[in-house]
Amino acid sequence: MGAAQDLSMLREAFSTLDVHGYGDVLQCMRCGFCLPTCPTYRTDGVETQSPRGRVAMIKAVVDGRMNPSEEFAEHMYHCLDCRNCHTVCPAGVKAGELVLDARHRIEEHRPQGVVKRFLLEYAIRDQRRLSRLLAPVRMYQRAGIQALVRKYDLLKAVSAGLSHLEAMMPDIPAKPLTETSQEEIPADGKEKGRVGFFIGCAMNLLYPEASRATAWLLSRAGYTVVIPRAQQCCGAPNIEEGERRVYREMAENNVDLFLGKGVDFVVTDCAACGNELKSYGTLLGGRKRNSRYASVFSGKVRDVSEFLAGALGPGIPFGPVDRTACFHDPCHLCHAQGITTPPRELLRRVPGLRLSEVPDAGQCCGSAGVYNITHADRSMKILAAKVEAIAKTGAKTVLTSNPGCMLQLEYAKRRFMTDWEVMHISPILRRSLARGEEKGGSE
Amino acid sequence: MDVQMVLPFYHQTFGPLDGRRMTVPLSRKLEELLGREKVFFSEADRLCYSYDATPLVSHLPEVVVRASTEEDVHVVLEAAAKEGASVTPRGSGTGLSGGSVPVDGGIVLLTTGMNRILAVDADDLSVTVEPGVITADLHAAVESKGLFYPPDPGSMKISTIGGNVAENSGGLRAMKYGITGDYVLALDTYFVDGSKVLYGTKCMKDVAGYNLTKFLVGTEGTIGVFTKITLKLVPKPQAKKTILALYDDILAAGRTVSAIVSRKVIPSTLELMDDVTIACVEEYAKIGLPRDAAALLLIETDGHPEVVKEEGAKIEEACRENGARTVRVAKDAAESAELFTARRMALSALARVKPTTILEDITVPRPAIPEMMAAIREAAKKYSLRMGTFGHAGDGNLHPTCLTDERDKEEIRRVEAAYDEIFRKAISLGGTISGEHGTGMAKSKYLPMMVGPKAVEVMARIKGVFDPQGRLNPGKIFRTEAR
Repeated sequence: MGAAQDLSMLREAFSTLDVHGYGDVLQCMRCGFCLPTCPTYRTDGVETQSPRGRVAMIKAVVDGRMNPSEEFAEHMYHCLDCRNCHTVCPAGVKAGELVLDARHRIEEHRPQGVVKRFLLEYAIRDQRRLSRLLAPVRMYQRAGIQALVRKYDLLKAVSAGLSHLEAMMPDIPAKPLTETSQEEIPADGKEKGRVGFFIGCAMNLLYPEASRATAWLLSRAGYTVVIPRAQQCCGAPNIEEGERRVYREMAENNVDLFLGKGVDFVVTDCAACGNELKSYGTLLGGRKRNSRYASVFSGKVRDVSEFLAGALGPGIPFGPVDRTACFHDPCHLCHAQGITTPPRELLRRVPGLRLSEVPDAGQCCGSAGVYNITHADRSMKILAAKVEAIAKTGAKTVLTSNPGCMLQLEYAKRRFMTDWEVMHISPILRRSLARGEEKGGSE
Repeated sequence: MDVQMVLPFYHQTFGPLDGRRMTVPLSRKLEELLGREKVFFSEADRLCYSYDATPLVSHLPEVVVRASTEEDVHVVLEAAAKEGASVTPRGSGTGLSGGSVPVDGGIVLLTTGMNRILAVDADDLSVTVEPGVITADLHAAVESKGLFYPPDPGSMKISTIGGNVAENSGGLRAMKYGITGDYVLALDTYFVDGSKVLYGTKCMKDVAGYNLTKFLVGTEGTIGVFTKITLKLVPKPQAKKTILALYDDILAAGRTVSAIVSRKVIPSTLELMDDVTIACVEEYAKIGLPRDAAALLLIETDGHPEVVKEEGAKIEEACRENGARTVRVAKDAAESAELFTARRMALSALARVKPTTILEDITVPRPAIPEMMAAIREAAKKYSLRMGTFGHAGDGNLHPTCLTDERDKEEIRRVEAAYDEIFRKAISLGGTISGEHGTGMAKSKYLPMMVGPKAVEVMARIKGVFDPQGRLNPGKIFRTEAR
């Protein structure tokens, strides 16, 4: 009985897709310009794996020409949400956002698994809670069990999927940043203003040293850095999985929290968080009072490179860092936020840093949140292409500014035996500025 | 794989065949013959191959096959012949006349999986490719060797060479370099019965029998399926110069086009944009175009540096003497790219204004461009439509683009009426209903008016010789049906 009923409910849900969304669907003129840039079309070569195909499916479901079936739902989850299609679409169709909207409608109308609900509705709401939940993993890594498992490939016998999952697992530092940093870091020198530092869950748990460098840079640029303890997840994982109730609650909490601290800007060093925070203004629409505050909040959000490119004035000297590097554009930075120049501008100011361009710049690395776990095969194909492109640059350091990309590119080291090191841009900028300071003079 | 080899499987699974039509679906049979990974027939698969880039048309195929070898094409055609199924060849689906829309269902045969560049012959200036090679990939491959394949259709970043040959695609460089058909030397072609013909050589001179290569180019997938294509190449031009001229009067822009040609200069690019297009581009991209400009010409000349210099000066002179309001000559590649921005943005800017964008591609002799532009404007006014026109003024190929909404049925009817008048006017001026998009479904209705009933009859007889049952890309060129 269930299936038929679910279908009709879903059909109803799609018939209420808002006019703006539907207008966007109609706006697609099917020119196919999105095909060559879409990572899934590049790997699979079929129309169902393209933005044009996804928009056609959504339109067909809205128009009642196609059933909102399990197959349709699956297709909505094949998208990496890299938004490369947004960048190239001549007609301004946001296929990636339409897919997320479709996921939302699908998830609203089907029962949610226990694990998913636990993660999206409970675990990520509190950074301390999330950190505690990772305690067993830390133990697994520190007690040497991981070394044993990897050495003898123990999980292969259990399941290939589990083995892949284990192999993907990054090293988890003992303490997240939120447990060790102050709530307010004074500006270095004369205060130019106050920035709220939004610390993404992944940066906090996996790359606390990179985020510590970000805070140092913000202070060095002359800003007091405010790190509110009660910040919650930006909600990107919820949006990706079609969950919007808890998303709203967390978003509203973050808006109130940061606006309450009287900050001039909200800076983040995670590209995915940055995009999500910038979207609060539109996604919290509907509840009038909140949406206005959300728009004010979103207006203050800056990616770390976007902020520093302006804030690190010409008076601040950059010291030499001798490296051959390339910058990997996180999709949520270059396509979702349209930021490509600021990180390059900053890196070019570092003497001794030779920056080369990745030939397929703007192509996804295949990380895409949990895509490398849920769609492992395709994700690895996408990663292999990225590895090949990066190899052409001759770079020994791959710089980026998104934890998902960092995890994926670090995994490339284990899987494809790459010889480059992966770094967030903040630590390298910090090193350069610290050296510039030591010398005390100009570059 | 031989059909006979798999028949025992059918007997086991579906019971014995009784000599009549098999009850096993076509999709299952194709799976058996080709393997599951090449055959697609789910609801989503079928939907996603029901369209190309043509507005307002969509027909579901029964099954989609992605061929990766010549043998796959052969197998599909033989199976289709056995089953009496129709076959619609398709590349990347960027056509604008419905050429790859499966009007009668049946099989959509994708050639995108056959995408190898087989040989670049730098000594004899030719390249041999499979049909699924992307046009821009071919450009990159030959240009890295100092060679040049000039045809550059608007969709070249994703369009396939097979599709370009089938539609005889044009592009921006047509005025000086010609169109796809001018570069095709040889074709391996499968006909709908599964037979194959290899015709053409790499020789510039080859008059053996009827020229089947010339004939097959532009047949829109109604005569055969190409599996190997040999194209002529030319040396890559060493230099180029880009010029942008703005006008207060579209007639002055038209006069400039004639003035350039009468100075014995053939630019590699000579593009025109009207006031509506300019205003939309400026609205969207804010690149500093004067909103009150009536027309814009983007001109490029290429070749030997000395020649380019001389031709550039002549073009500039022609612009100034014919009332250009401003003339900008690019000093370097960066500025040249900047001047191209406006033209590159034209379609994007227009497409954002309203939900549905309908683009046509009439072509008239160059001297008739001003009159054609006036007629387009008149039609837009008469039917209260928003229409912007841009196009390749150098070869008379214009794209009157209607900004509309497919949900507004009444307006769509007015759009059709306006285009009807525009087509008639183009024909009366000695022009054509389609310069580069093809006849397909979109313009089959106008073909008799365009070429006359006798020519249509001749075409139909030729079609009948190759495909008596009308199974290869049915519903194209000959069917009289509104879009």
